[in-house]
Amino acid sequence: MPPHESCERPVRPSGTRYTSAVSPPLLIFRDLVHGFGGLPVLRGVSGRVATGELLLVRGANGSGKSTLVRCLAGLLRPQSGEIELQVDGQLHDSEARRQRIGWVGPGLAFYESLTAEENLGFHARLRGIEPDHGLALLRDLGVPAHRAAGALSSGMLQRLRWSFALQHRPPVLLLDEPFQNLDAAGEEAVQALLSAHLERGSLAVVASPIQLGLSTDRVLDLTDISAHSAAGERASGEATSDGTGS
Amino acid sequence: MIWLRQALAVLAKDWRTELRTRHALHTIALFAVTTLVTVSLALGPAGVSSAERTTTLPVILWIILLFAAAAGLPRSFVAEEEGHTADALRLSALPSAIFAGKAAFSIGLLWGLELLLTPLFLAMMDLPVGAPAALVLILLLGALGLAVASVLVAAMVAQARSRGALFPVLAFPLLLPLLMMAVELTRGAVVGGLDLNVLQQLVLYDASLTVGGLMLFPVIWNP
Repeated sequence: MPPHESCERPVRPSGTRYTSAVSPPLLIFRDLVHGFGGLPVLRGVSGRVATGELLLVRGANGSGKSTLVRCLAGLLRPQSGEIELQVDGQLHDSEARRQRIGWVGPGLAFYESLTAEENLGFHARLRGIEPDHGLALLRDLGVPAHRAAGALSSGMLQRLRWSFALQHRPPVLLLDEPFQNLDAAGEEAVQALLSAHLERGSLAVVASPIQLGLSTDRVLDLTDISAHSAAGERASGEATSDGTGS
Repeated sequence: MIWLRQALAVLAKDWRTELRTRHALHTIALFAVTTLVTVSLALGPAGVSSAERTTTLPVILWIILLFAAAAGLPRSFVAEEEGHTADALRLSALPSAIFAGKAAFSIGLLWGLELLLTPLFLAMMDLPVGAPAALVLILLLGALGLAVASVLVAAMVAQARSRGALFPVLAFPLLLPLLMMAVELTRGAVVGGLDLNVLQQLVLYDASLTVGGLMLFPVIWNP
C-alpha cells in the first residue's frame, strides 16, 4: 500500500454498512492533470467512487482539492486525464455530467436581488423539475425563503447551496468545504441530508482540508500525491478504500 | 421543449433581476437621453440643412443606438461571472439556451430603447419619415443584430481580464457591416424607399449571426 493510502471503516452515519462489492462503479477518474499559469496543481490523480460510497478528498491548502472537484463537476476541463460518469449503466460526457451532479462549493453564488426561493425556483425551471423539493429543503434547513440571497448570512448561504445541490436529487454530490460557516445545528442537518443521499444509492465526493466527522468509504490524500510528485516519483494518486473497493 | 423552457427561464430571470437592480436600464437610458439632448442642442432642426438631413441624421441615430447598447449590454455575462452565478447556470442549463435567453433579453431591451428614443429623435431633429413601416422594420432587424452580436462578444469578454478594453475591439468588426446596412436602409426609409437587396443582406446577417452565435456560444461558455 503506497504511503498516501489510508483505510477507514465503511460505516454510514446512520450505521448502515455499505455493500460496494455488489454495486457498479459510478464515477471514475484517471490520471487527472491540471494547473494554473504553468503551476501544476493536479498531477495524475485517479480514483473511483461507486454507488452509495463517499470519497473524502483531503489535503493541505493549495493541494488541488477544489480543482479536482471542479474538474469532476465539469466546471474545469483537466489538461489531461479522463472522467467517466456512469448512471443507470450509461456513460455521460461532461455536458451531461453537469446536469447530473449536485455541487456545493465556496464559488457557488446566487442572484443577490432574488430571494432564496426565487433562486431555487429559477434553477428548478431550468432543470424542468417542480420547485416543491427545493422549498422543502429550504424549510428543513431553516433558510428564510423570502429573503434576498444578498441579505443572507454566510451560514444561511451555505444552507442555500445545499438546497441548490440537492433539489434535483442528483446521483452524484460533489462537496467542496461543505460544512463551511455552518453552526452545529446546520452541520447536523446537512449531514443527515448527506446520509439520506447515500442511502438512496447515490455517491458523494467531499473535499476538505480537515478530518470531518463522517464515515468514509475511500480517502484520497492530495498532499501525499503532491509530495510524491515533488520527489520525482510517479505522480499518480489512487483513491483507496477499506478493502471492499479499488 | 427543454431548450425553449430553459431559454424562457433565463429571459424571465434576466428581466426580473434587471427590474430590481436596473443597471442596464439606467445605463442605456441615461446614455441615450444625454446623447440625444446633446445632439439636438448642437445640431437641432436648424443645425443641419434639409439637403444633408437625410444623409446625416440616420447615422447619428444609429451611433446613439450603438453606444447605448455598448454601454449596457456587455453586463449580461460580466455580471454572471463577477457575481459567481455563472457556474450554477452552467450546471443547470444548456449553453445554447442560455445564449438564446440572454439574446432575447437584450433584443427586448434594445427594442424598448428604440421605442422611446426614435420618436423623440425624429421630433427633436424635425425629421419626417417617408416610409414609417419600413423604418420600424429596419429598427427591429438592426436591434436584433446589434443585440445578438453584443451578447456574443459579451460572453467572450466576460472570460477575459481586460474586459473594458476588449468589448469595442471585438465588437467593432462584427458590428460594422450591420451599421452600414442599417444606416443605408434608414436613409431609404426617411425618403420613402426601401432597398430590398440591402434588406435581404440585413436579414441574412442577422440569421447568420444568430445561428453562428448558437453554435459558437457553447465553445465560449463551456470550460
